[in-house]
Amino acid sequence: MTLHLDEEQLRILNWRVDNKDIGAVVGPPGCGKTTVGSGLAVKIIAEGLAKRVLLVAYTNAAANEFGWEFYNILGPAAEKMCIRTGNPTGVDPLLPITFNRSADTLLEKRIIISTNLSLKKLPPIRFDNMIIDEAGVERLEHLLWPFWFGVDREVQNEHREKAAAEIDDLMELISRCGAVATVVGDPKQSRPISPVRTDYSAIEWVMKRKRSDMLRISHRLPDMLSGLVNEFANYGGLKSAPEIAPRRLTLDYMPDVEYRQVIQPDEVVTWVDINGVEQPKGPTSWANDLEAKGCAKICNHLVHLTRKSIVVVTRFTAQKQIIRYYLQRMGLESIKVTTTTGALGTQADVVLFSLVRNNPERNVGAAGTLQDLNVAISRSKEKLIIIGNFDMMINGWTSASSPSHRKSPARNLARLIDCKYGSIVQPPHILRD
Amino acid sequence: MSSLAVRELYRTISKTKGHLVQSREIATTCVCPYLFKMCYPFGVPPGEQDYLIANTVHDIMSLAMPTTILHNWQQDPTNFENLARSIDRDSSAIVEKAIQDAKDVANREGKTIPTYFEYDVQDRFHGLLIGISKKLMKKYSRPKRAITEITITNVKKFQEGRIDAFLEFDDDCYGLIDWKTNDIDKFKGSGIDKWQLIANFLLANYRYTGNEDNWSKCLFGSVVFYENAYFPRLPLKQEKIDKVKYDRKFAHDVLCGGSPYTQKPAFCPVCDREGESSSDCHFYREDSRMSGQGTLPPNYASIRRHLIKRRYLVLDERSETHKHKFVISNMIERLGESIALQELEKSDVVYSGFRLGSTHENLITLVREVSDNPITFLEPSKVVRIIGKEDSRPLLGCINEKGFVKDATESKLVVSLDKKIYADRAKEQLLDFPIVIIRDENNLTRRTLEPMHRFHRLAADLMLPRRFFDNN
Repeated sequence: MTLHLDEEQLRILNWRVDNKDIGAVVGPPGCGKTTVGSGLAVKIIAEGLAKRVLLVAYTNAAANEFGWEFYNILGPAAEKMCIRTGNPTGVDPLLPITFNRSADTLLEKRIIISTNLSLKKLPPIRFDNMIIDEAGVERLEHLLWPFWFGVDREVQNEHREKAAAEIDDLMELISRCGAVATVVGDPKQSRPISPVRTDYSAIEWVMKRKRSDMLRISHRLPDMLSGLVNEFANYGGLKSAPEIAPRRLTLDYMPDVEYRQVIQPDEVVTWVDINGVEQPKGPTSWANDLEAKGCAKICNHLVHLTRKSIVVVTRFTAQKQIIRYYLQRMGLESIKVTTTTGALGTQADVVLFSLVRNNPERNVGAAGTLQDLNVAISRSKEKLIIIGNFDMMINGWTSASSPSHRKSPARNLARLIDCKYGSIVQPPHILRD
Repeated sequence: MSSLAVRELYRTISKTKGHLVQSREIATTCVCPYLFKMCYPFGVPPGEQDYLIANTVHDIMSLAMPTTILHNWQQDPTNFENLARSIDRDSSAIVEKAIQDAKDVANREGKTIPTYFEYDVQDRFHGLLIGISKKLMKKYSRPKRAITEITITNVKKFQEGRIDAFLEFDDDCYGLIDWKTNDIDKFKGSGIDKWQLIANFLLANYRYTGNEDNWSKCLFGSVVFYENAYFPRLPLKQEKIDKVKYDRKFAHDVLCGGSPYTQKPAFCPVCDREGESSSDCHFYREDSRMSGQGTLPPNYASIRRHLIKRRYLVLDERSETHKHKFVISNMIERLGESIALQELEKSDVVYSGFRLGSTHENLITLVREVSDNPITFLEPSKVVRIIGKEDSRPLLGCINEKGFVKDATESKLVVSLDKKIYADRAKEQLLDFPIVIIRDENNLTRRTLEPMHRFHRLAADLMLPRRFFDNN
């Protein structure tokens, strides 16, 4: 069994092992939420504290990630202990853990991994402990299926007499019925999709009512990025792991002269102040052709300089498609292009972030929300290149923050990079057309 | 109208609620409005009955109707049993494929296959063939065309429904068919299936005339069941049509968060026979009554309010997924179909110019000339409705299939359908038509509502004295 945890992860793991209630664990970028969740499940089972543990994620990708994490911790023994269930089309075919939906097989296993909406198909079994990931993107109602599998009928009957007077909200009701769960997520990285814009995410809902704790050591972000992310999202003490902090981009070859300012390896964050034109695409999306071409050209140059992983992130699906189209034309299909929503759980050595929005009204729109910007700037292990109009962001506003509102996340990010954590560079001639 | 205007339309529509009521839900409301409320908003799960056999028979019928049944159609056959046997023989490849398909899916999903599965499927299929040859063929000449499993959306009336089959005759006249494959019982003309047939008539009229109240193309409607068929007398009584429309409005109002007056009918087949959901129905009626009177304990009332509010949020989320259908319909009404489709294509709301290329197992490949706009929003895993655009039919009333995108390039779209037999059906039905793609959705609303129902009942069980619900 291989499980390496830092002191923060260990502290939280011990708290969750000892605590027989519902609790929330907030995990800023790169702090090892999935590792803690998987480690917790293994420890609970290994110490005989639970007969069966349920691991739930909102997306198939995250559920698969749990499976891989178990394999990393337990090796081939993972196959004996764990099972992946849910929708077969969402299962990673390479996952070294069996997929099954039959009740008999599920009952034989100690750790069951599923997506949230597939829980309805589980046989009626009770789980002594549950770990619920991606609770930042979920809403309250998405937590109720896993919680239902934690309800203990015996505990419920014991409390019948006292319950009527003492239970005053849904969370208390669930707790009183014996559900033990660790809800993991980060409300500053993702928001639930909800018809009500101000709706709470599932993790915020738990944090308001139950004890919560936060991981604070990032194993992904070098010092300049962890500092930027910490100040930008106001985490209150996020720092890089000592071995990660001084990490900088290393290249096999020197960049060409025209790209030298953009790629400069010693600078962790570089903002290329490009002045492309935004265009509406699709029912609600936006695209910026100049930025898309710029991203593709930088990627094309980078692959000649290094074999390091590259990911392109943008807020808009239309921009993603256009960047992908240009990359395909350059024969760079292997470079991942993703939206900020799809980027959760993704990391790469070099990340390019295309801002897209650029208009005279300075309306940043959805591109200026805290969660989207936070995700975009926190995927990189060595180098972050932001491509977009700087003035647009420093003077931008979103409908969530009025023009006079000084704490616009977009403005805050631009200010932090300009003043403290990076450099703003003019685009070289090659990126201007 | 520019693509910006399409976006503006989206923005306008996003401020309204775009709920669609399914024909089945209208029929449920017709039987008892409380039964509908059990589903939406309360989220009481449907019974645990396994529909594997019924669904397989449906799949077989959907492919046999336009092929083997239509080819063997004889008006007033001398020996309907021999004819049914003959169709049965001709359909053996379809039956075999559907059974294998169902078994594959059941195995993949870890479902238990009933002991006499194959026999039951073949028996029920044969029963339906007897019903068709004995009743339908006796009355009607061979139709020009048969089409099956079509989802029709009439957004103006907030209604959507899936039609089992249409038979098309000369002069654009149609026969509407509903298969009853759940069991081999005799059909009782008073239940939910009858109301569903009437609700589907409204959609059929919309498909064939553009107006749900125009009955000029309606030749007949029938519920085909085991060894027989039921034909409602046409023209239908106006009071029945009005009831369906009234209940459609009721269901729509409920989905939109309204509180229309709800009256339990003199006889409800669930509650009055103490069926599976009668305890839940009684519970929610009492719960609402006491809430209205203010007699619930405050802490329980607070949890109750919270859960009900969340349920309506889930319903609102569902309505969001229908918005593009409202935009498409609205644009077509304003600009005419041809211009509207061009504008909608520019805005990536629809994708046109495809033709069915090939099928392989459960995959169908749609091809088109490389378009001016090489960027597509159709990404793997997106759910789409593949529409075969028929002349003089509203776009959302044309033949269609539903699937999810497996692969998309500038000129090719590979769509995965749920079963192999659906790919055969798509080939049979969509081959001759230009294809338009719109986004679609999987309805997971009831699955999301169900745990709220469970916790609602749990809260009542723990927090309310027994006397509150003494019938439970």
